[in-house]
Amino acid sequence: MLLEIDNVTLAYGRIQALHGISLNVGEGEVVALIGANGAGKSTTMRAVSGLRPVSQGTIRFDGEDITKMRADLRVVRGVSQSPEGRGIFPGMTVRENLEMGAYTRRNRAEIDEDLNRAFTLFPRLKEREKQAGGTLSGGEQQMLAVGRALMSRPKLLLLDEPSMGLAPMLIQQIFDIIVEINQQGTTVLLVEQNAQQALSRAHRAYVLETGRIVKEGTGAELLNDPAVKDAYLGVA
Amino acid sequence: MDFSGLINDFGPLTVTGLAQGAIIALFALGYTLVYGVLRLINFAHSEVFLLGTYACLIVWGWFGLDQNSAPPSVGGMLLYMAVGLLAAILVSGLAALTVEVIAYRPLRRRNAPPLAFLITAIGASLFISELVGVATHRNQKGVPPIILAKPVVTIGDTTITNLQILIIVLALVMMFALDRFINGSRLGRGIRAVAQNPDSAALMGVNKSRVIALVFLLGGLMAGIAAVMYDLKIGVTRYDAGFLLGIDAFTAAVLGGIGNLRGALLGGLLLGVLQNYAAGLFGSQWLHAASFVLLVVILLFRPTGLLGESLGRARA
Repeated sequence: MLLEIDNVTLAYGRIQALHGISLNVGEGEVVALIGANGAGKSTTMRAVSGLRPVSQGTIRFDGEDITKMRADLRVVRGVSQSPEGRGIFPGMTVRENLEMGAYTRRNRAEIDEDLNRAFTLFPRLKEREKQAGGTLSGGEQQMLAVGRALMSRPKLLLLDEPSMGLAPMLIQQIFDIIVEINQQGTTVLLVEQNAQQALSRAHRAYVLETGRIVKEGTGAELLNDPAVKDAYLGVA
Repeated sequence: MDFSGLINDFGPLTVTGLAQGAIIALFALGYTLVYGVLRLINFAHSEVFLLGTYACLIVWGWFGLDQNSAPPSVGGMLLYMAVGLLAAILVSGLAALTVEVIAYRPLRRRNAPPLAFLITAIGASLFISELVGVATHRNQKGVPPIILAKPVVTIGDTTITNLQILIIVLALVMMFALDRFINGSRLGRGIRAVAQNPDSAALMGVNKSRVIALVFLLGGLMAGIAAVMYDLKIGVTRYDAGFLLGIDAFTAAVLGGIGNLRGALLGGLLLGVLQNYAAGLFGSQWLHAASFVLLVVILLFRPTGLLGESLGRARA
């Protein structure tokens, strides 16, 4: 397993956000986390990337215990996150934002190669290359956040609501890109409100409710699960 | 009001003001850099400067120099300048770093509220200044005549001294180098990333603690250079030298737009010049009062300072 989360609890002050979550992501998989607002999806992502310290439990990445490791060191190990709210650097150009994604890397030729790849995946970013990140539209910022997260050549890509704020046509496109990135060899852990898209594209998925995992299965199984349909897919 | 005084001395007042402003600008960088990254006013920065004003004097003392020494030869002057600058830069840089590691870092680790940082900053400032006060028996210390101010350029009835040129040129060169570093280097980009979005910066692999330490160090280095220039220009230092000029430097940083490097330069030069005009107009006892009237008026019309925040800019 590339990522193993074992019985992790996490609290914001006195508010318990995760009540003992366990989940695995295998190498080469696309795994989705679905659930309502406040279920703990983004909190799980922050625990994995290291932005939030966990109270109990362990997180192992690539066989190594990273539970207490600083966030910036996890990037070097191969974890990369496109955060909730996108986290663009508003005063940097699109290009500088992308270059920030490669901050831990030194090989200029490889970085240029990956810049080209990001511009190929998101031609819109190429058009906006010299524009400040803060002046982009929501959808463009989303593309920039995903493109930037790829710039570290991660083993595990954490995507928090990649379809947030995107027009329906762009949602299709961004999921196509996620599948493409995965086929190029990157493992993906995905948080989504858009359960329909997420389940139809993911190999496996977990359903979170109030800080607990209540269901897991393959994407197809959960798509056909009456309770999941009822709660998350908007069909009875 | 003495308009004829201002008009007659306009040239000399401008030049004196620019030199004074250049020192203020170098000093102001430390406030603006730390604020840009941490949203913290590091009041102890004035004592980082203070220690620099003493560091070069101590090293010059090792060479047997004091305020009564004869001016050195050209070779001696270059040597003393080099070691004096080196000593001040090292001591001020290390002092800034020490304040960060001992006083602020433990607070950050505990997620302390902003007020705790403010009180710590004021406390660290008073502590160092009092320590110097006790060690020097609150006496002022004279500066050896390393560089004798000599007029080298005359334009009309305005003369410009070698020392004034040195101060202004050195300040501009250091500002330019710092600007290139922040905007052009990988580490500089890391600093801007932490300033604009600390969480995102961590997700890019930026070590926040290291960036913060670097920012304190850079501010300290610039204060060290300002300290040597101050010694040479004023001719004496005292345990409260940092406090008095620190208020000017902090004012300049806010005037230019705190968090903005170019703003610090603009604010420093503007403040230096306008203080001298005010002194010409109302008498030198009004120098500091004038700078605060100016600050209040400018902030009324431009609350974020003349150039606004750029290192930090609004967080996403």
